[in-house]
Amino acid sequence: MIEINNLVKHYGDTKAVNGISFNVNKGEVLGFLGPNGAGKSTTMNIIAGYLSFTSGSVKVNGHDVLEEPELTKKSIGYLPELPPLYLDMTVIEYLTFICDLKKVPKADRKEQLARILAMVKISNVSDRLIANLSKGYKQRVGIAQALVGDPEILILDEPTVGLDPNQIIEIRKLIKSLAKNHTIIISSHILTEVQSVCDRVVIINKGKVAAVSNLKDLSANVFKNYKILITFKGNLKAVSDGLMNIPGVTNVEVKNSDGDISELEISVDSENDIRSQVFYEMVRLNCPILELKSLGSSLEDVFISITKNS
Amino acid sequence: MFAVFKREFQSFFRNPTGYVALALFSVLSGFTFVMQLSSAEVNISSEISTLRSFFLILIPIITMGFFAEDKKRGTEILYYTSPVSLWGVVIGKFLAALSLFGVMFINVFIHMFITGFLGGVVDIGSWGSVIVYFFLAALFISIGILASSIVNDQLLAACFTFVIILLIQLTNTISSLATAALVSLLAVSNNGASNDKLLNICTKISDAICWFDPFSKTTNFRSGIFSLTALIFCLSATFVFLFLTYRNLEKKRWTQK
Repeated sequence: MIEINNLVKHYGDTKAVNGISFNVNKGEVLGFLGPNGAGKSTTMNIIAGYLSFTSGSVKVNGHDVLEEPELTKKSIGYLPELPPLYLDMTVIEYLTFICDLKKVPKADRKEQLARILAMVKISNVSDRLIANLSKGYKQRVGIAQALVGDPEILILDEPTVGLDPNQIIEIRKLIKSLAKNHTIIISSHILTEVQSVCDRVVIINKGKVAAVSNLKDLSANVFKNYKILITFKGNLKAVSDGLMNIPGVTNVEVKNSDGDISELEISVDSENDIRSQVFYEMVRLNCPILELKSLGSSLEDVFISITKNS
Repeated sequence: MFAVFKREFQSFFRNPTGYVALALFSVLSGFTFVMQLSSAEVNISSEISTLRSFFLILIPIITMGFFAEDKKRGTEILYYTSPVSLWGVVIGKFLAALSLFGVMFINVFIHMFITGFLGGVVDIGSWGSVIVYFFLAALFISIGILASSIVNDQLLAACFTFVIILLIQLTNTISSLATAALVSLLAVSNNGASNDKLLNICTKISDAICWFDPFSKTTNFRSGIFSLTALIFCLSATFVFLFLTYRNLEKKRWTQK
């Protein structure tokens, strides 16, 4: 649906985007991850047609964004980092203006606007001035703006930034519901967000693609260092030594020790799950396990390790 | 284009801008007209020519926000990412400002009606002045729009427009001052002897500067002598400034971060 090939964008001497290539498939929710200043917004601006690029190609539905901009822009709804709102208009006036801009036929307008207002849940504020809305509502109006004209593709640049936790959850729910019949690219540096809504991620760093992967593969492939937290009853010294002998264990750290009961954090460097070996070792030492928890690999760690390496 | 026109025109009346401009124009035109009435010598052309000197204030007020404000609010992105052409955006904003002048000018039309009603003179010269007013307004609006697209700050855009309109209004004065200065400089360097050839060149330079003065080009309109050259001059200058605005917006695609 979207093909980005060797995209390069220079600002004077700085290379904001330096040879990015990736595809977005139809119906997919693609997470676009990267630290601040990695080139996320620039790439999104380019796909949406806001910025031009130095070299490479961007195709939307097979149409080049530079050669057939009107066609590609029609199929894209874009929510930039700062929602492009006219504060002096009411919500409904603003959305009608967007309908004018996007050339939505007059006959479809009423029905489409009513549907969008209901979908992003802003029907109750449709007659209020945008200037008087809370940040969460402004963000919704921004999303509504992107939905006008029924584009197949939605590009959302950090849609939850600056919102309170409840609003974040609501916006994520909204994105999930939109994912049913849209192709979505969503940029973020908040990893839980990507984890909760995306099928696939592209991680970029310093203008280059650092990794493209499914979320599951990403944690499995890139990350094999993980930790196990264990709480048990028994001799701390004996257990520590015993656990160190299990292949793959690199470190055992005492987290807590209160009389008989101790808590250890076991660092593992292995592609195998060693939890059962830990269990049998504890049985051998005759120390009952009170709690065993795999801390697993968080996307956070993956992100840090990838962006540090590249 | 129509979408942008509609939004911008309505936006004048959502903000104080439109009302301030309208009030200012009404007070100024009303004052001039009443002064003329009280001296029982009404001349619509001279009222309009007085009003022309207030381009200096009105145009910057009206045009300063056009692109500068869009840039600040982040709304310019809408124009780049929707299927409208940037040229349409520029023309839409331009027409919105010109229409505001149309609304403000209702004052003058009322004055013309009153003058006619009271048996005063509303001749072809008066209509000539009206036509010139709109052509000059269009020209200065296009300058204001260009300034607003170049400068990111509203106030700076207004100052920029103010200075350019001031310079254009003073073209004649500037050219005669420059010529006088040059002549005296030459006289000094030639030990007081005048040099006809150099003097000739100075006059030519002065004429060249004056050629760009849209005011002197259109002076004859108020006597009912219409000149197509003058109108074409104003129109082409307007077009040039609007085109530069369009190119400047297009350029931002490449240079903007």
